[in-house]
Amino acid sequence: MRSFRALDAPRRPRRRAVARRPGALTAAALAAAASLALSACSPSAGGSAAAAGRSAGGTLTVGFSVQAPATLDPAKAPQNYAWFEQLAYEPLIVQRSDGRLAPGLAQSWSYAGTGNTTFVMHLRPGVKFSDGSPLTAAGVVADLRYVVHSAGQMSPFLSGDTFTATGPLTVTIKAAAPNPDFPQILTQDDVVGGMISQPGLRAPARLGTRTFGAGPYMIDPSQTVAGDHYTYVPNPSYYDKAATHWKKVIIKVITDPQSMLNAVRTGQVQVANGDPTTIAAAKQAGLSVISEPDLWMGVTLADRGGVLARPLADVRVRQALNYATSRTAISRALFPGTGAPTSQATVPGGYGYDPALARAYPYDVAKARQLLAAAGYPHGFTLKIVTGEYGGMNLMAQALAQQWQKAGIRLQVTDYANSNQFYSAAFGAKFPAFMTVFGQIPVWVEGPSLFLPPASYNPFHTAAPALAALYGQESRSSAAQQPRLDQQIQAYLAGQAWFVPVVTIGLPYYATKAVAGATTSARAPLLELDEIRPAG
Amino acid sequence: MPVLRYAVRWTASSLVLLFSITAATFVLASLAPGDAARAILNTQGGGYTMAQYRQVRHALGIDAPLPVQYWHWLDGLLHGSLGVDLFSGQPVTQELNGRLGPSLSIIAGTVLLSGVAGVALGIASALRRGALGRLVDVVSLLGLAVPNFWLALVLVELVAVRIRVFPATGYAPLGDGPAAWAQSIALPVLTLSAGAVAFVAKQTRDALSEVMGAEFVVMLRARGLSPGAVVLRHALRNAAIPVVTVLGLLLVSLLGGTVLVEDVFSIPGLGQQAVTAAGSHDLPVIVGVAFYFTVIVVIANLLVDVSYRVLNPRLRFS
Repeated sequence: MRSFRALDAPRRPRRRAVARRPGALTAAALAAAASLALSACSPSAGGSAAAAGRSAGGTLTVGFSVQAPATLDPAKAPQNYAWFEQLAYEPLIVQRSDGRLAPGLAQSWSYAGTGNTTFVMHLRPGVKFSDGSPLTAAGVVADLRYVVHSAGQMSPFLSGDTFTATGPLTVTIKAAAPNPDFPQILTQDDVVGGMISQPGLRAPARLGTRTFGAGPYMIDPSQTVAGDHYTYVPNPSYYDKAATHWKKVIIKVITDPQSMLNAVRTGQVQVANGDPTTIAAAKQAGLSVISEPDLWMGVTLADRGGVLARPLADVRVRQALNYATSRTAISRALFPGTGAPTSQATVPGGYGYDPALARAYPYDVAKARQLLAAAGYPHGFTLKIVTGEYGGMNLMAQALAQQWQKAGIRLQVTDYANSNQFYSAAFGAKFPAFMTVFGQIPVWVEGPSLFLPPASYNPFHTAAPALAALYGQESRSSAAQQPRLDQQIQAYLAGQAWFVPVVTIGLPYYATKAVAGATTSARAPLLELDEIRPAG
Repeated sequence: MPVLRYAVRWTASSLVLLFSITAATFVLASLAPGDAARAILNTQGGGYTMAQYRQVRHALGIDAPLPVQYWHWLDGLLHGSLGVDLFSGQPVTQELNGRLGPSLSIIAGTVLLSGVAGVALGIASALRRGALGRLVDVVSLLGLAVPNFWLALVLVELVAVRIRVFPATGYAPLGDGPAAWAQSIALPVLTLSAGAVAFVAKQTRDALSEVMGAEFVVMLRARGLSPGAVVLRHALRNAAIPVVTVLGLLLVSLLGGTVLVEDVFSIPGLGQQAVTAAGSHDLPVIVGVAFYFTVIVVIANLLVDVSYRVLNPRLRFS
């Protein structure tokens, strides 16, 4: 308030001065700007989201680069919005930043018998939600049923299962089909692992804007502006108070990459989603850049039955496209410092990664032409592809158009800036091929999204008995057997050239020196907010 | 009675404008490829059947014919509701009211700064002519030529990042204190004012120069009035109408012009909401924003009209 008076006070005398000398008005404006500037530096400034960075120590402000979530309901929110959920909703099983799984609301868990169809969890006693209600096995069962009923992104992985409270603090899941990834699915990174209290489940309409979790924080609606910033304050009932590192956590939505970098550089934001276009500037500014490869980017050759593009029905043509791709050139030109060439639909250290497949398709235009000729296309063919603009995939499409021309393939690129238009065209089987950015997830979870017949990334519903058999084995396998089967599935996808993976990239995070604990790994590429604490 | 006649005419034309703009927005928004049901299903992973798609369309109420949807919207409007956001389920009025403050702050700040600084520069230029006049011309050209987004980035780099005078991003509501509020809108307002100040200054100088040559100004000087009194009490008032017109146009153009600035400075205004809603086919929000913008335009026009009549008695309600 004092600084505002400093701005206001000179107005009257200076207004009189205008009568004598018109130029004085400009001087008044400059004086006002100067006093405003001074007030900006005064300790009285702050208390707002804009000034939140200056209240260091007690407040963690996190920059989120995607459009704000439409709902905070963990059963309905897509995985992209895990940050908004994990602060308030303690998961049954915690995924640490190094990829390890640790007890959360479930103290222990295991599969019963063989075949991955019965999963048993023993809950932590004495836990209360932020609304004061207790954690019970019956509550967890009600939550899991709500997840299935809500038909959110992860509900297919629990659909058809039966959930039973087999004790006051024991929950048993009987899977309709073998599921080897229950522990992973029930972590905070897959969102549905975060448990909702019984009062929350009884008022589902409120879950969109309020939180009803047992996590370290809870949303404060009075300090939240939907779409702009979301303020979380400590949950007084949290069972592990030592793990609550901040008096307040604010998630601030900043969609422009340069604005995000500016916010981190000025300390308004301490941790943020970065962007490949600003990594160099972030490093130059002395920020910590955290990035593990967690995505592969390339092309989905979707029309493997040749419905829209007959040549794609021939595996030799699909392999030719892989040989005609100079991954190294694209990686260096478009993703300097962030991308690495890849021939497989996973990332180093990720599920199913096989070092032997790393160079399965070396750049070889002659071989590509040879394969095309053998398939009956000695003069190449025209291929239509659709791209969005996320992460530079449109630039990659243009680069591929240039490269594939050398092998005689004329790529016609349709570029949709609007992501909804892109996804509608790609998943609606309107194009034989589409640009793809796909994240690092367990292969069993990946199947229904990426390569099984109902998968959205398989819009022509290609069915492959050999792949289905491998997937079936994977479903029933033990944890020790899974890595080998993961690799076999990846090898099948590479050999049959269902995709043209080009580069692996890691979406970067930026952190200031004010915080510690901001780390990720190939198996846990999402920054875990609950591990971030004040530096020193 | 002339005032009453004016009020009736203004109300009728405003209602027609509101009706036409919202109806046109309904039609245009529905012509864009895709719909909210697909957008919602895509955010949930993208794999869906036609039955699921139809179910979501029905649940959202967007499977009804467009005239029926518009009729429902009008019916809601008469009951004080602009519908609900198809994604968040929140009332549109509640969402837009929360975003009105930031947008109006930036718009009002820009009009105020442009008006005050522009008129001051224009007066100086008209009275002194010569070098100052040429300077105003040069500054005008520069202000109009410099793209807003570039100026915004430069201002952020220099004023927010290097010397940290103002925040680089974010908006602080007035409830956080006037100083915090003023700091948060300072850079957006400066960005938008650059071109506007120059334009207003040029308009002021041209209009004032013309008036200063008029006979009544010579007579006022002959009566012994000081140059300041002649300009501020008489000449400026006569030269003000084109300036007020420019400020009115500026206000209206800022409704669209704030979108980019809101994005660069991460300010939760109506422009950002409009872009987000358009991208996700959220028809109630798109039409809601159009409604709010139209109301602002109608009010701005009223203010300009009233200003004309205050400044020029010959235009009063006769």
